[in-house]
Amino acid sequence: MKDIARQQMSIKVESMDMLNAQIQMEGKASASYLAMASWCDQRGYTGSADFMYQQAAEEREHMMKIFKFVNDCGGNAISPEVANINHDFSSLEEVFETALTQEIEVSKSINRIVASARKNSDFGVENFMQWFVTEQLEEEKSIRDILDLFELMGRDGIALKLIDERIKAA
Amino acid sequence: MSSMERIHSSQYYTFFQSDKERCFYIDLGQKLVRLSFCQLLSLRQKVWGITIEHHFDEEVNPHGLEILTLCNREHLFVLNTLEILDLKALLSDVFFVLGIAAQTPSLTSKI
Ligand SMILES: [Fe+2]
Ligand SMILES: [Fe+2]
Repeated sequence: MKDIARQQMSIKVESMDMLNAQIQMEGKASASYLAMASWCDQRGYTGSADFMYQQAAEEREHMMKIFKFVNDCGGNAISPEVANINHDFSSLEEVFETALTQEIEVSKSINRIVASARKNSDFGVENFMQWFVTEQLEEEKSIRDILDLFELMGRDGIALKLIDERIKAA
Repeated sequence: MSSMERIHSSQYYTFFQSDKERCFYIDLGQKLVRLSFCQLLSLRQKVWGITIEHHFDEEVNPHGLEILTLCNREHLFVLNTLEILDLKALLSDVFFVLGIAAQTPSLTSKI
């Protein structure tokens, strides 16, 4: 019996399933950042809005990167359905807190893929995901740094304006 | 057809590979369906996407039936709850035997 299936696909189906779930997660993160961008834009926080638009674009790039990888490995990448995006925030700080929570969830999910790939000896997947491990550390840090600004500068109108300008510079 | 090799059988279904045609066949009782590798992947994803709990919910799925379309809607099958579960078990074993799944709960539990 020939190894027809293995010749067609170089990753394990378990990895493919997890990567498809990750595609969904990155797609949802992108849409979620877009909702945050809208909230900031409407309230004149243009620096924060730019930051969120930028994040939305990056999340889409992450999604595409995984999408291509799954197909390149002979798998079947699935275009995600994104629903239930939250558009309601009570403050600028809450927007960034939500962003950090979301990034932490993504980091956990990526770590689970790496752990599972290692357990299943799916080393190509483990290796591919390393880039995302590093990326997540950077993403978490950049949002944590912004949240520190609220501690440093306070939360009144002037402080928020200054924080927003600092974010633009970053 | 003579080059077909039986890979695995479940209670209702049998799965074959044809080295010569570089494809797979699944005997679904009513019909023998030819599957390319990507059609096989897509069948697996369709079956995995079925929420079997809905079969026990009178309001969501009162008849406990599932319509399965295969090979870009070339084939259409109506399967009941037991058949879906059996097909799911078959596919999970098949992917293990084919060497592209890390684990299969049903095969290892039989050993
Ligand atoms: Fe991401
Ligand atoms: Fe991110």
